[in-house]
Amino acid sequence: MTHAAHHPATKPFRKRFADAAEPYLYSAPALILIVAVMLVPLVLGISYAFRDIQLLNPFSGRFIGLDHFRALGQDQAFFRALRNTLWWTGASVFLQFVFGLILALLLDKPFAGRGLAQALCFLPWAVPSFLAGLNWAWLFNPVIGPLPHWMYAFGILDAPNNILSDPQLAMWGPIIANVWWGIPFFAITLLAALQAIPRDLYEAASIDGAGPVQRFISITLPFLAPTIAITILLRTVWISNFADLIVVMTNGGPADRTQIVASYIFTQAFKRLDFGYASAIALVLLVLLLVYSLLIVLLRQTLLNKD
Amino acid sequence: MASIDIEGIRKSFGAFPVLHGVDLAIRDGEFVVLVGPSGCGKSTLLRMIAGLEEVTAGDIRIDGKRVNDLAPKDRDIAMVFQSYALYPHMSVADNMSYSLRLRRSTKEKIASAVSGAAAKLGLDPLLERRPRALSGGQRQRVAMGRAIVRQPKAFLFDEPLSNLDARLREQMRAEIKKLHGDLRATSIYVTHDQIEAMTLADRIVAMHGGVVQQVGTPLDLYDRPANLFVAGFIGSPGMNFFEGRYLVSGDHADLKLENDVTLPARRVGGIESGEPATLGIRPEHVVITEGGALEGRVDLIEPTGFGIIMHVTVHDVPLKVFTLNRAMLNPGATVRLDLPRDKLHLFDGEGRRLG
Ligand SMILES: Nc1ncnc2c1ncn2[C@@H]1O[C@H](COP(=O)(O)OP(=O)(O)OP(=O)(O)O)[C@@H](O)[C@H]1O
Ligand SMILES: [Mg+2]
Repeated sequence: MTHAAHHPATKPFRKRFADAAEPYLYSAPALILIVAVMLVPLVLGISYAFRDIQLLNPFSGRFIGLDHFRALGQDQAFFRALRNTLWWTGASVFLQFVFGLILALLLDKPFAGRGLAQALCFLPWAVPSFLAGLNWAWLFNPVIGPLPHWMYAFGILDAPNNILSDPQLAMWGPIIANVWWGIPFFAITLLAALQAIPRDLYEAASIDGAGPVQRFISITLPFLAPTIAITILLRTVWISNFADLIVVMTNGGPADRTQIVASYIFTQAFKRLDFGYASAIALVLLVLLLVYSLLIVLLRQTLLNKD
Repeated sequence: MASIDIEGIRKSFGAFPVLHGVDLAIRDGEFVVLVGPSGCGKSTLLRMIAGLEEVTAGDIRIDGKRVNDLAPKDRDIAMVFQSYALYPHMSVADNMSYSLRLRRSTKEKIASAVSGAAAKLGLDPLLERRPRALSGGQRQRVAMGRAIVRQPKAFLFDEPLSNLDARLREQMRAEIKKLHGDLRATSIYVTHDQIEAMTLADRIVAMHGGVVQQVGTPLDLYDRPANLFVAGFIGSPGMNFFEGRYLVSGDHADLKLENDVTLPARRVGGIESGEPATLGIRPEHVVITEGGALEGRVDLIEPTGFGIIMHVTVHDVPLKVFTLNRAMLNPGATVRLDLPRDKLHLFDGEGRRLG
């Protein structure tokens, strides 16, 4: 009898449990994968920032709270690297964008041999970054490269020296290499966006009385704005984390003049083997980039909502 | 307002010729409709007048001034596109005022021009919307509004109604006609819809294969088509044709068909007896009568509501008849027909009109 009385109660409970668990069970594989692949390393990495982890010291590893961040607040090298990062990222993104946009506008017009020109323009994108860095380092080297002699001939340099060893100019070396290497990214994405603009809008505008500049301002730019916002966001985050060219071309020198936060983290982690401190710096960079990304995403939303 | 003169206009895309020497003189305030089948070069001609296509050879004059080498913005014309080409990121009001803002008109002038055009087209409640939030018909009106806010020398329309449903097209057709009556602006209107052409035009330009076939008032083209192409293109259902040989006997003429049947024809000049000719008659001019000279076998009845289109076979030649007689919904197997002589059209072997 008890069994009979109990039975109708358990069945709905099991059923209720199954109903409640169903969505979680469906999403479990994806969630487990995300947690295992993305969150676990992230949380571990963040936890290093609050621990004393030095690779060569077997007694390190204890929890030290905010000590790393206090040290960071006093670290002049870190602040210099932060300023360099702004400079490196700002100049690289700006120049990549401007030249990428010009290239996209040129490639958008039909002309003989456009296919070949497009293929050639997108070539730098396929070059490995270390190879690009080495290549540009050689180009800037007066012993084997032509660039210092050309710049001297044009009066840009007082003498055909290597700008990579000039503390005032060294940052321009990796920036130029980075611009060369990154133009195709902007050119490709902006060209795709340009080609999605209906041609008859330009025709209507030219009949309405718009010249080339007015057509660019009132049609091309509004259509490109969302793409511009998202590509600049992506590139900024990516370039501020991108130390390959700097490590290969100047290794942060001369006298830390080209040290950016990303290469500083690299130096702390793999030269001084202080993983805890390197993680703390990385965490600060992460927070800064998150704030920046949030701002851009908000900007993009307002731009899109305006329509 | 201005006249537009087109002299010996040719156009080739690469080596592919599209227009073969078009001459056309459009008077100030005239409404001219370009009609023709798809691919005959109507849009190309219109776009050349607008300045959107290079002129391969010949001259285009607006108000007596040669404009071949002027940019579209310097020609002072307005155009309504088939796709409307509204600026999607601007409100309706901004779409309409764009050309005035480019010309740096004063705020008051822009406001009054926009509200005037909006009132004419019933766009007042929509001024703040984006084109995305409009129906096809409303977009069409905005495109018209954009054209009329600044008083241009001429309006160009490229199939502006072809994306609308039949009812709306009818309504907009009437509105365009009314607008033209108000504004009296020189207009060139491209369409392949012959009803639009007939109802709107002061003069119709019928084109085929990049060549102008006939220029004239709608009734000219309907009553006296210059050649077989125009005869077949204008009118719906299309004109009936019989091919044969023209035979003269006294003051009397006949057309002898392949199968030795003779049809009555008219005595006209410009053709010798025995030469090949084509006889044409519009379906609405064929008379169904007890004492008709021809016997037709009824193949098909198409009631249109207004009238009835009958497909019949006369001496093995298919013939369409349009009648308002409801009794013909249930005709017998055969009907007797007459082809009134004064309604016949005759064309010579090259397809040119005779008489
Ligand atoms: N940019 C171009 N390059 C090459 N050929 C073209 C180009 N534009 C048009 N043509 C050709 O020119 C001819 C005339 O085209 P057009 O657009 O003037 O025709 P249309 O009379 O307007 O036809 P529809 O009624 O279909 O719009 C067509 O055969 C078309 O293929
Ligand atoms: Mg066309």
